[in-house]
Amino acid sequence: MNALANSVMNSPSSAPVLEARSLLKYYGDQCVLNNVNLRIEPGSVVGLVGRNGAGKSTLIRCMLGLLTRDSGDCHVFGDPALAISDSNKARIGYVPQQPEALGWLNVKQMLDFVSGFYPRWDHAFVTSTLSRWNINGSTLLSKLSPGERQRIAVLRAMAYHPELLVLDEPAAALDPVARRELLREIAIRAADSGTTVIFSTHIVSDLERVASDIVFVHEQGILLEMPMDSIKENTLCLRLSPEISALHSGKIPGEISRRVHADKGVSIILKRDDGDVWPALCSAPGVRTETLGLEDLFIEVAQ
Amino acid sequence: MDASLFQIHPAAAEPIYRQMVEQSRRMIASGQLAAGDALPSVREVAAHHAINPMTVSKAYSLLEMEGLLERHRGKGMVVAAQRGKVKSQSARLDLIDPAIQALAKQAGELELPASIVIARLKEFLEK
Repeated sequence: MNALANSVMNSPSSAPVLEARSLLKYYGDQCVLNNVNLRIEPGSVVGLVGRNGAGKSTLIRCMLGLLTRDSGDCHVFGDPALAISDSNKARIGYVPQQPEALGWLNVKQMLDFVSGFYPRWDHAFVTSTLSRWNINGSTLLSKLSPGERQRIAVLRAMAYHPELLVLDEPAAALDPVARRELLREIAIRAADSGTTVIFSTHIVSDLERVASDIVFVHEQGILLEMPMDSIKENTLCLRLSPEISALHSGKIPGEISRRVHADKGVSIILKRDDGDVWPALCSAPGVRTETLGLEDLFIEVAQ
Repeated sequence: MDASLFQIHPAAAEPIYRQMVEQSRRMIASGQLAAGDALPSVREVAAHHAINPMTVSKAYSLLEMEGLLERHRGKGMVVAAQRGKVKSQSARLDLIDPAIQALAKQAGELELPASIVIARLKEFLEK
């Protein structure tokens, strides 16, 4: 708890852990990230959500210097992303969407090999986690199921207690029990060491639990970036009847997305700043308001 | 008290820290949590429910500001001694506010005039 308090206290003056400025990325002639700006503060647990192909993995890989960008700047612990010092690399744990490296080694060989690179390698954590998971150390990595493979990759990334943990779709191959265990480990790391975590996922209920901040990636950019609590308190869904909809075809203040239904009624997602009041329209006749959970909000804005 | 004291519903429209604050208020008002009882630590609650530790700290800080909890050295958060056995009327009224707000919202959706709703509410209260 003290570590958390300290890292939070220190954060306003300290540099962001990760930063992207005016990031531009093309695959061929297709733009994937268009002028993206993002700052990840120390101690935050950031959830990246967005539809398949929205650019979440590309954003992560550009920010970590694993992909070259077309223009803009990315920094990790203050280093340019394409020239991260070895000492700063040891502070980063990254689990790609489909971990495939070192498939010819068995679980134990791989972990022994990798442990040599990290002075802070936590042997006790590795041993206890492996036995709890019932994974045989002599199994070849290439023979593990996708779920086991992913768990080993997460274990490997967590074993040296990185200050920045980046998980790209960690939940995809995990069952609900393993997922909850991973979330719990993230919560404990955040509490004990103020670990900064970024993870992308389609399972938004996981983010509602553990994320401090949510970043919606949509149509080559960041549509919404808000603290988790603020999303629930400062976004609102308005459902306008068809008659009322006809009177409000222009953008209303705070509007972030709008969807027209078959009956010509519309639903609008509004965002306000802390302490602001909702526009008068919200209490007009023919207008229903609803506070949305993250999943419904995501569906409204991403459709 | 252990961390299962709190019932966390991540998908609810109400943020988790608010759920914790509301539940604590009710447990203290009803005497389920008595003065001097220690609350589970931030780490315990975060680990048990797999929720962000800052969410738990935020709930505890708000309850501390309200005077319901006190920070004790070595013991963490402890239920504060309540001034006066009975909660003030306005404090008890605050606790029922969410239910009244929900009622007002539904009355609005049904386009029922306030006077009718108040009359009906009065009937129920006087039963």
